[in-house]
Amino acid sequence: MDYTIDGNPDYGHLTVRLELGESFIAEGGAMSWMSGGAEVKARLLGGFLRALVRKVTGGESLFVGEYSHPMGGEVTFSPSVPGAISHRSLTGDSLLLTGGSFMACSPGINLRTAFGGLRSMFSGEGMFLIECSGFGDLFFNTYGAMIEREVEGSFTVDTGHVVAWEPSLDYTIRGMGGLKSTLLSGEGLAMRFSGSGKIYLQTRTLPSLASWLTPFG
Amino acid sequence: MASYTISQKGSYGSVLVELAPAEGFISEAGAMFRASANIDIDVTTRSRGSGGLMSGVKRLLAGESFFFSTYRSIDGRRGEIGLAPTLAGEVAVIECSGTNRWLCAGGSYLGSTEGLRLDTQFQGLRGVFSGESLSFMAVEGQGDLLVSAFGSIREIEVDGELTVDTGHVVAFEESLDYTLGRAGGSWIQSMLASEGVVLNFSGHGRLYVQSHNPDEFGSSLGGLMPPRES
Repeated sequence: MDYTIDGNPDYGHLTVRLELGESFIAEGGAMSWMSGGAEVKARLLGGFLRALVRKVTGGESLFVGEYSHPMGGEVTFSPSVPGAISHRSLTGDSLLLTGGSFMACSPGINLRTAFGGLRSMFSGEGMFLIECSGFGDLFFNTYGAMIEREVEGSFTVDTGHVVAWEPSLDYTIRGMGGLKSTLLSGEGLAMRFSGSGKIYLQTRTLPSLASWLTPFG
Repeated sequence: MASYTISQKGSYGSVLVELAPAEGFISEAGAMFRASANIDIDVTTRSRGSGGLMSGVKRLLAGESFFFSTYRSIDGRRGEIGLAPTLAGEVAVIECSGTNRWLCAGGSYLGSTEGLRLDTQFQGLRGVFSGESLSFMAVEGQGDLLVSAFGSIREIEVDGELTVDTGHVVAFEESLDYTLGRAGGSWIQSMLASEGVVLNFSGHGRLYVQSHNPDEFGSSLGGLMPPRES
Protein backbone atom coordinates (compact mmCIF):
# COMPACT_ATOMS: atom_id res chain seq x y z
CA MET A 1 0.00 0.00 0.00
CA ASP A 2 1.44 3.35 -1.08
CA TYR A 3 0.33 6.58 0.46
CA THR A 4 0.99 10.31 0.05
CA ILE A 5 0.17 13.13 2.44
CA ASP A 6 -0.34 16.49 0.71
CA GLY A 7 -1.14 19.90 2.11
CA ASN A 8 0.56 19.66 5.53
CA PRO A 9 0.51 21.53 7.87
CA ASP A 10 -2.50 23.67 6.87
CA TYR A 11 -4.70 21.35 4.88
CA GLY A 12 -3.33 17.86 5.17
CA HIS A 13 -5.07 15.19 3.15
CA LEU A 14 -4.13 11.58 2.56
CA THR A 15 -4.17 9.59 -0.67
CA VAL A 16 -3.88 5.82 -0.49
CA ARG A 17 -3.24 3.53 -3.45
CA LEU A 18 -5.08 0.25 -2.89
CA GLU A 19 -4.05 -2.82 -4.85
CA LEU A 20 -6.37 -5.72 -5.53
CA GLY A 21 -7.21 -7.49 -2.28
CA GLU A 22 -5.98 -4.65 -0.04
CA SER A 23 -8.28 -2.75 2.25
CA PHE A 24 -7.96 0.37 4.37
CA ILE A 25 -9.84 1.67 7.40
CA ALA A 26 -10.83 5.32 7.84
CA GLU A 27 -12.96 7.34 10.20
CA GLY A 28 -16.59 7.62 9.06
CA GLY A 29 -17.16 10.29 6.42
CA ALA A 30 -13.48 11.00 5.75
CA MET A 31 -13.51 9.96 2.09
CA SER A 32 -13.18 12.97 -0.24
CA TRP A 33 -12.79 11.37 -3.64
CA MET A 34 -11.88 7.95 -5.02
CA SER A 35 -11.51 5.96 -8.21
CA GLY A 36 -14.87 4.79 -9.53
CA GLY A 37 -15.88 1.31 -8.38
CA ALA A 38 -14.32 1.52 -4.90
CA GLU A 39 -16.28 -0.24 -2.17
CA VAL A 40 -17.12 0.91 1.34
CA LYS A 41 -18.17 -1.32 4.20
CA ALA A 42 -19.04 -0.15 7.68
CA ARG A 43 -17.15 -1.76 10.57
CA LEU A 44 -17.67 -1.34 14.27
CA LEU A 45 -14.88 0.54 15.95
CA GLY A 46 -13.51 -1.41 18.90
CA GLY A 47 -16.32 -3.81 19.75
CA PHE A 48 -20.05 -3.25 19.82
CA LEU A 49 -20.56 -2.49 23.50
CA ARG A 50 -17.70 -0.03 23.74
CA ALA A 51 -18.71 1.59 20.47
CA LEU A 52 -22.25 1.96 21.77
CA VAL A 53 -21.07 3.53 25.02
CA ARG A 54 -18.92 5.96 23.04
CA LYS A 55 -21.87 6.79 20.82
CA VAL A 56 -24.19 7.44 23.76
CA THR A 57 -21.75 9.36 25.91
CA GLY A 58 -19.53 11.08 23.37
CA GLY A 59 -21.75 11.26 20.30
CA GLU A 60 -18.95 9.74 18.26
CA SER A 61 -19.58 7.49 15.31
CA LEU A 62 -20.17 3.81 15.96
CA PHE A 63 -18.57 2.80 12.74
CA VAL A 64 -15.49 3.23 10.66
CA GLY A 65 -15.42 2.69 6.91
CA GLU A 66 -13.45 -0.12 5.29
CA TYR A 67 -12.41 0.78 1.74
CA SER A 68 -11.33 -1.57 -1.00
CA HIS A 69 -11.22 -1.59 -4.77
CA PRO A 70 -11.91 -4.67 -6.91
CA MET A 71 -9.51 -3.52 -9.65
CA GLY A 72 -7.10 -1.47 -7.56
CA GLY A 73 -7.48 2.29 -7.26
CA GLU A 74 -6.89 5.43 -5.21
CA VAL A 75 -8.86 6.90 -2.33
CA THR A 76 -8.26 10.38 -0.87
CA PHE A 77 -9.29 11.14 2.70
CA SER A 78 -9.39 14.40 4.61
CA PRO A 79 -10.26 15.18 8.22
CA SER A 80 -13.17 17.48 9.03
CA VAL A 81 -10.88 20.14 10.48
CA PRO A 82 -7.94 21.78 8.71
CA GLY A 83 -4.53 20.82 10.06
CA ALA A 84 -1.74 18.32 9.77
CA ILE A 85 -1.79 14.58 9.25
CA SER A 86 0.85 12.42 10.83
CA HIS A 87 1.87 8.87 9.95
CA ARG A 88 3.26 6.26 12.27
CA SER A 89 4.22 2.64 11.63
CA LEU A 90 3.28 0.33 14.43
CA THR A 91 5.38 -2.80 14.81
CA GLY A 92 3.74 -4.45 17.77
CA ASP A 93 3.86 -1.28 19.89
CA SER A 94 0.83 0.84 20.67
CA LEU A 95 -0.32 4.44 20.75
CA LEU A 96 -3.18 6.17 22.57
CA LEU A 97 -5.21 8.65 20.52
CA THR A 98 -7.60 11.20 21.96
CA GLY A 99 -11.15 11.14 20.60
CA GLY A 100 -11.40 12.76 17.19
CA SER A 101 -7.69 12.44 16.31
CA PHE A 102 -7.98 9.04 14.72
CA MET A 103 -8.07 9.29 10.95
CA ALA A 104 -7.18 6.05 9.21
CA CYS A 105 -5.13 2.85 9.38
CA SER A 106 -4.23 -0.32 7.53
CA PRO A 107 -6.23 -3.40 8.58
CA GLY A 108 -3.38 -4.89 10.64
CA ILE A 109 -3.94 -2.22 13.30
CA ASN A 110 -6.28 -3.10 16.16
CA LEU A 111 -8.48 -0.27 17.36
CA ARG A 112 -9.81 -0.54 20.86
CA THR A 113 -11.95 1.98 22.67
CA ALA A 114 -10.29 2.58 26.02
CA PHE A 115 -12.07 4.23 28.92
CA GLY A 116 -9.75 6.95 30.12
CA GLY A 117 -11.10 6.96 33.66
CA LEU A 118 -12.31 9.85 35.72
CA ARG A 119 -9.17 11.89 35.15
CA SER A 120 -9.76 11.98 31.39
CA MET A 121 -13.13 13.65 32.02
CA PHE A 122 -11.18 16.58 33.39
CA SER A 123 -8.58 16.44 30.67
CA GLY A 124 -10.88 18.03 28.11
CA GLU A 125 -10.03 15.17 25.78
CA GLY A 126 -13.26 13.24 26.31
CA MET A 127 -13.79 10.15 28.37
CA PHE A 128 -12.61 7.75 25.72
CA LEU A 129 -9.34 7.13 24.03
CA ILE A 130 -8.60 4.95 21.06
CA GLU A 131 -5.85 2.47 21.74
CA CYS A 132 -4.09 1.53 18.51
CA SER A 133 -1.86 -1.53 18.46
CA GLY A 134 -0.66 -4.25 16.09
CA PHE A 135 1.29 -3.97 12.86
CA GLY A 136 0.79 -1.50 10.04
CA ASP A 137 0.29 2.15 9.17
CA LEU A 138 -1.61 4.54 11.40
CA PHE A 139 -2.69 8.06 10.43
CA PHE A 140 -3.97 10.68 12.85
CA ASN A 141 -4.72 14.37 12.50
CA THR A 142 -4.58 17.63 14.38
CA TYR A 143 -6.35 20.96 14.31
CA GLY A 144 -3.43 23.27 13.63
CA ALA A 145 0.13 22.05 13.25
CA MET A 146 1.49 18.95 14.94
CA ILE A 147 4.36 18.94 17.39
CA GLU A 148 6.20 15.77 18.33
CA ARG A 149 8.12 15.58 21.62
CA GLU A 150 10.21 12.89 23.17
CA VAL A 151 9.43 13.09 26.90
CA GLU A 152 12.05 12.14 29.48
CA GLY A 153 10.98 12.82 33.02
CA SER A 154 7.96 15.05 33.10
CA PHE A 155 6.15 17.32 30.69
CA THR A 156 3.12 19.57 31.14
CA VAL A 157 0.54 20.21 28.41
CA ASP A 158 -2.56 22.36 28.42
CA THR A 159 -5.61 20.13 28.12
CA GLY A 160 -7.04 20.00 24.65
CA HIS A 161 -3.67 20.23 22.95
CA VAL A 162 -2.82 16.56 23.38
CA VAL A 163 -3.39 14.38 20.34
CA ALA A 164 -1.58 11.13 21.09
CA TRP A 165 0.96 9.55 23.38
CA GLU A 166 2.76 6.30 23.94
CA PRO A 167 1.36 4.18 26.78
CA SER A 168 4.79 4.15 28.47
CA LEU A 169 3.82 7.67 29.59
CA ASP A 170 1.50 8.18 32.51
CA TYR A 171 -0.32 11.39 33.33
CA THR A 172 -2.11 13.24 36.10
CA ILE A 173 -4.50 16.18 35.91
CA ARG A 174 -3.48 19.30 37.75
CA GLY A 175 -3.78 23.03 37.73
CA MET A 176 -1.09 25.18 36.17
CA GLY A 177 0.77 26.51 39.18
CA GLY A 178 -1.29 27.32 42.26
CA LEU A 179 -5.02 27.89 42.60
CA LYS A 180 -4.71 31.58 41.83
CA SER A 181 -2.84 31.11 38.59
CA THR A 182 -5.12 28.23 37.59
CA LEU A 183 -8.13 30.49 37.91
CA LEU A 184 -6.62 33.66 36.52
CA SER A 185 -4.14 32.63 33.85
CA GLY A 186 -6.71 31.22 31.48
CA GLU A 187 -4.55 28.14 31.28
CA GLY A 188 -7.06 26.07 33.21
CA LEU A 189 -6.19 22.48 33.80
CA ALA A 190 -3.12 20.77 32.52
CA MET A 191 -2.04 17.22 31.91
CA ARG A 192 1.27 16.39 33.49
CA PHE A 193 2.96 13.48 31.77
CA SER A 194 5.73 11.44 33.33
CA GLY A 195 7.90 8.56 32.21
CA SER A 196 9.63 8.24 28.90
CA GLY A 197 8.00 8.10 25.50
CA LYS A 198 6.71 10.15 22.63
CA ILE A 199 3.86 12.64 22.77
CA TYR A 200 2.06 14.42 19.89
CA LEU A 201 0.49 17.84 20.35
CA GLN A 202 -1.66 20.17 18.28
CA THR A 203 -0.99 23.92 18.18
CA ARG A 204 -4.69 24.94 18.17
CA THR A 205 -7.91 23.64 19.69
CA LEU A 206 -11.35 23.73 18.16
CA PRO A 207 -13.26 24.40 21.43
CA SER A 208 -11.25 27.59 21.98
CA LEU A 209 -12.06 28.82 18.46
CA ALA A 210 -15.72 28.01 19.11
CA SER A 211 -15.78 29.92 22.37
CA TRP A 212 -14.02 32.87 20.77
CA LEU A 213 -16.65 32.93 18.00
CA THR A 214 -19.66 32.45 20.29
CA PRO A 215 -20.11 36.10 21.35
CA PHE A 216 -20.38 37.05 17.67
CA GLY A 217 -23.04 34.43 16.91
CA MET B 1 -8.99 41.03 -21.82
CA ALA B 2 -8.75 40.74 -18.09
CA SER B 3 -5.57 39.33 -16.60
CA TYR B 4 -5.16 37.74 -13.19
CA THR B 5 -2.59 37.61 -10.47
CA ILE B 6 -3.19 35.03 -7.80
CA SER B 7 -1.66 36.74 -4.83
CA GLN B 8 -1.10 34.04 -2.28
CA LYS B 9 -0.66 30.31 -2.44
CA GLY B 10 -1.93 28.30 0.47
CA SER B 11 -4.44 29.22 3.11
CA TYR B 12 -5.29 32.79 2.23
CA GLY B 13 -5.54 33.07 -1.54
CA SER B 14 -7.00 36.07 -3.34
CA VAL B 15 -7.06 37.30 -6.94
CA LEU B 16 -6.13 40.65 -8.41
CA VAL B 17 -8.08 41.19 -11.64
CA GLU B 18 -6.79 43.76 -14.13
CA LEU B 19 -9.55 45.00 -16.40
CA ALA B 20 -9.23 46.50 -19.87
CA PRO B 21 -10.94 49.89 -20.39
CA ALA B 22 -14.73 49.49 -20.21
CA GLU B 23 -14.45 45.77 -19.63
CA GLY B 24 -16.88 44.42 -17.03
CA PHE B 25 -16.26 41.78 -14.40
CA ILE B 26 -18.81 40.03 -12.17
CA SER B 27 -18.50 38.67 -8.68
CA GLU B 28 -20.70 37.56 -5.88
CA ALA B 29 -21.66 40.61 -3.84
CA GLY B 30 -19.18 41.19 -1.04
CA ALA B 31 -16.20 39.43 -2.62
CA MET B 32 -14.38 42.64 -3.59
CA PHE B 33 -11.88 43.88 -1.01
CA ARG B 34 -10.00 46.48 -3.04
CA ALA B 35 -10.52 48.44 -6.25
CA SER B 36 -8.73 51.21 -8.13
CA ALA B 37 -10.40 54.63 -8.01
CA ASN B 38 -11.71 54.44 -11.57
CA ILE B 39 -13.87 51.37 -10.91
CA ASP B 40 -17.61 51.76 -10.80
CA ILE B 41 -19.65 49.10 -9.00
CA ASP B 42 -23.16 48.19 -10.00
CA VAL B 43 -25.09 45.78 -7.81
CA THR B 44 -27.90 43.85 -9.48
CA THR B 45 -29.71 40.56 -9.25
CA ARG B 46 -28.75 39.82 -12.81
CA SER B 47 -25.71 38.84 -14.69
CA ARG B 48 -25.69 38.88 -18.47
CA GLY B 49 -28.64 37.03 -19.94
CA SER B 50 -29.97 35.63 -16.70
CA GLY B 51 -31.85 38.27 -14.97
CA GLY B 52 -34.43 39.71 -12.78
CA LEU B 53 -35.68 39.26 -9.31
CA MET B 54 -36.59 35.63 -9.79
CA SER B 55 -33.07 34.55 -10.59
CA GLY B 56 -31.97 36.29 -7.39
CA VAL B 57 -34.59 34.34 -5.44
CA LYS B 58 -33.45 31.15 -7.14
CA ARG B 59 -29.91 31.84 -6.07
CA LEU B 60 -31.02 32.46 -2.50
CA LEU B 61 -32.76 29.08 -2.46
CA ALA B 62 -29.55 27.54 -3.70
CA GLY B 63 -27.66 29.06 -0.79
CA GLU B 64 -25.87 31.58 -2.99
CA SER B 65 -25.84 35.33 -2.75
CA PHE B 66 -28.90 37.26 -3.92
CA PHE B 67 -26.90 39.94 -5.64
CA PHE B 68 -24.10 40.10 -8.16
CA SER B 69 -21.69 42.98 -8.38
CA THR B 70 -20.47 44.22 -11.75
CA TYR B 71 -17.22 46.18 -11.84
CA ARG B 72 -16.18 48.42 -14.73
CA SER B 73 -13.54 51.05 -15.29
CA ILE B 74 -15.25 54.31 -16.21
CA ASP B 75 -12.47 56.64 -17.30
CA GLY B 76 -11.20 54.78 -20.36
CA ARG B 77 -8.14 53.48 -18.52
CA ARG B 78 -7.29 50.07 -17.12
CA GLY B 79 -8.66 49.25 -13.69
CA GLU B 80 -7.97 46.79 -10.91
CA ILE B 81 -10.13 44.86 -8.46
CA GLY B 82 -9.07 42.44 -5.78
CA LEU B 83 -11.42 39.57 -4.93
CA ALA B 84 -11.22 37.35 -1.88
CA PRO B 85 -13.42 34.46 -0.74
CA THR B 86 -14.86 34.03 2.76
CA LEU B 87 -13.19 30.78 3.70
CA ALA B 88 -9.46 30.20 4.05
CA GLY B 89 -8.04 28.36 1.07
CA GLU B 90 -6.75 28.56 -2.47
CA VAL B 91 -8.25 30.26 -5.49
CA ALA B 92 -7.96 29.27 -9.14
CA VAL B 93 -8.78 30.63 -12.60
CA ILE B 94 -10.65 28.29 -14.95
CA GLU B 95 -10.57 29.20 -18.64
CA CYS B 96 -13.89 28.25 -20.18
CA SER B 97 -13.44 27.60 -23.88
CA GLY B 98 -17.15 27.68 -24.64
CA THR B 99 -17.18 24.09 -25.85
CA ASN B 100 -18.76 22.77 -22.67
CA ARG B 101 -20.76 24.30 -19.86
CA TRP B 102 -19.16 24.28 -16.42
CA LEU B 103 -21.03 23.51 -13.23
CA CYS B 104 -19.70 25.28 -10.17
CA ALA B 105 -20.64 24.62 -6.54
CA GLY B 106 -22.45 27.74 -5.26
CA GLY B 107 -20.03 28.26 -2.39
CA SER B 108 -17.02 28.05 -4.69
CA TYR B 109 -18.00 30.76 -7.17
CA LEU B 110 -15.84 33.85 -6.77
CA GLY B 111 -16.22 35.79 -10.03
CA SER B 112 -16.36 35.62 -13.81
CA THR B 113 -15.80 37.66 -16.95
CA GLU B 114 -18.81 39.48 -18.31
CA GLY B 115 -19.18 37.20 -21.31
CA LEU B 116 -20.10 34.19 -19.20
CA ARG B 117 -23.76 33.46 -18.61
CA LEU B 118 -24.63 32.31 -15.10
CA ASP B 119 -27.66 30.34 -14.08
CA THR B 120 -28.67 28.29 -11.06
CA GLN B 121 -29.26 24.66 -11.73
CA PHE B 122 -31.05 22.55 -9.16
CA GLN B 123 -30.43 18.85 -9.22
CA GLY B 124 -34.20 18.35 -8.95
CA LEU B 125 -35.60 15.13 -7.60
CA ARG B 126 -32.21 13.50 -7.57
CA GLY B 127 -31.18 16.01 -4.95
CA VAL B 128 -34.30 15.53 -2.85
CA PHE B 129 -33.97 11.78 -3.01
CA SER B 130 -30.47 11.89 -1.63
CA GLY B 131 -31.60 13.91 1.39
CA GLU B 132 -29.34 16.84 0.62
CA SER B 133 -30.35 19.76 -1.49
CA LEU B 134 -27.83 20.14 -4.22
CA SER B 135 -27.52 22.84 -6.78
CA PHE B 136 -24.82 24.19 -9.03
CA MET B 137 -24.18 27.41 -10.79
CA ALA B 138 -24.19 26.64 -14.52
CA VAL B 139 -21.59 28.69 -16.36
CA GLU B 140 -21.94 28.97 -20.09
CA GLY B 141 -19.93 30.65 -22.81
CA GLN B 142 -16.34 31.69 -23.35
CA GLY B 143 -14.40 33.48 -20.63
CA ASP B 144 -12.75 33.06 -17.26
CA LEU B 145 -14.29 31.69 -14.09
CA LEU B 146 -12.70 32.32 -10.70
CA VAL B 147 -13.26 29.68 -8.05
CA SER B 148 -12.25 29.36 -4.42
CA ALA B 149 -11.79 26.36 -2.18
CA PHE B 150 -11.79 25.47 1.47
CA GLY B 151 -8.23 24.18 1.68
CA SER B 152 -6.23 23.37 -1.40
CA ILE B 153 -7.59 23.07 -4.93
CA ARG B 154 -6.67 20.19 -7.16
CA GLU B 155 -7.40 19.87 -10.85
CA ILE B 156 -8.19 16.35 -11.97
CA GLU B 157 -8.38 15.33 -15.61
CA VAL B 158 -11.06 12.66 -15.37
CA ASP B 159 -10.72 9.81 -17.81
CA GLY B 160 -12.86 6.92 -16.68
CA GLU B 161 -14.70 6.97 -13.38
CA LEU B 162 -14.26 9.00 -10.24
CA THR B 163 -16.41 9.29 -7.12
CA VAL B 164 -16.36 12.62 -5.26
CA ASP B 165 -18.07 13.57 -2.00
CA THR B 166 -20.42 16.47 -2.87
CA GLY B 167 -18.76 18.64 -0.21
CA HIS B 168 -15.45 18.46 -2.10
CA VAL B 169 -16.69 19.41 -5.58
CA VAL B 170 -15.57 22.87 -6.72
CA ALA B 171 -16.41 22.86 -10.44
CA PHE B 172 -16.51 20.49 -13.39
CA GLU B 173 -16.94 20.46 -17.13
CA GLU B 174 -20.33 19.24 -18.25
CA SER B 175 -18.74 16.90 -20.78
CA LEU B 176 -18.54 14.61 -17.74
CA ASP B 177 -21.54 12.45 -16.99
CA TYR B 178 -22.53 12.47 -13.36
CA THR B 179 -25.05 10.74 -11.14
CA LEU B 180 -25.82 11.33 -7.49
CA GLY B 181 -25.42 8.37 -5.23
CA ARG B 182 -23.96 6.90 -2.12
CA ALA B 183 -20.29 6.07 -1.74
CA GLY B 184 -19.23 2.52 -2.45
CA GLY B 185 -22.43 1.06 -3.82
CA SER B 186 -24.46 -0.10 -0.82
CA TRP B 187 -26.69 2.53 0.78
CA ILE B 188 -26.77 0.93 4.19
CA GLN B 189 -23.01 0.36 4.38
CA SER B 190 -22.33 3.86 3.20
CA MET B 191 -24.77 5.43 5.65
CA LEU B 192 -23.36 3.47 8.55
CA ALA B 193 -19.88 4.59 7.57
CA SER B 194 -21.22 8.21 7.67
CA GLU B 195 -20.32 8.76 4.05
CA GLY B 196 -22.52 11.46 2.61
CA VAL B 197 -23.86 11.90 -0.85
CA VAL B 198 -21.39 11.56 -3.67
CA LEU B 199 -21.25 12.39 -7.34
CA ASN B 200 -20.17 9.54 -9.57
CA PHE B 201 -18.39 11.03 -12.57
CA SER B 202 -17.65 9.21 -15.79
CA GLY B 203 -16.32 10.11 -19.22
CA HIS B 204 -13.73 12.75 -20.07
CA GLY B 205 -13.42 16.24 -18.69
CA ARG B 206 -11.82 18.53 -16.16
CA LEU B 207 -12.82 18.58 -12.51
CA TYR B 208 -11.66 20.78 -9.63
CA VAL B 209 -11.89 19.46 -6.08
CA GLN B 210 -11.13 21.00 -2.69
CA SER B 211 -9.14 19.18 -0.04
CA HIS B 212 -11.59 19.97 2.78
CA ASN B 213 -15.34 20.01 3.23
CA PRO B 214 -16.71 23.37 4.51
CA ASP B 215 -19.93 21.87 5.91
CA GLU B 216 -18.04 19.28 7.92
CA PHE B 217 -15.83 21.93 9.49
CA GLY B 218 -18.88 24.11 10.10
CA SER B 219 -20.73 21.38 11.92
CA SER B 220 -17.65 20.39 13.96
CA LEU B 221 -17.32 23.99 15.05
CA GLY B 222 -21.06 24.66 15.36
CA GLY B 223 -21.47 21.62 17.61
CA LEU B 224 -19.14 23.25 20.13
CA MET B 225 -21.03 26.55 20.22
CA PRO B 226 -24.08 27.17 22.41
CA PRO B 227 -27.44 27.31 20.61
CA ARG B 228 -28.30 30.80 19.34
CA GLU B 229 -30.82 32.68 21.45
CA SER B 230 -33.76 33.71 19.33
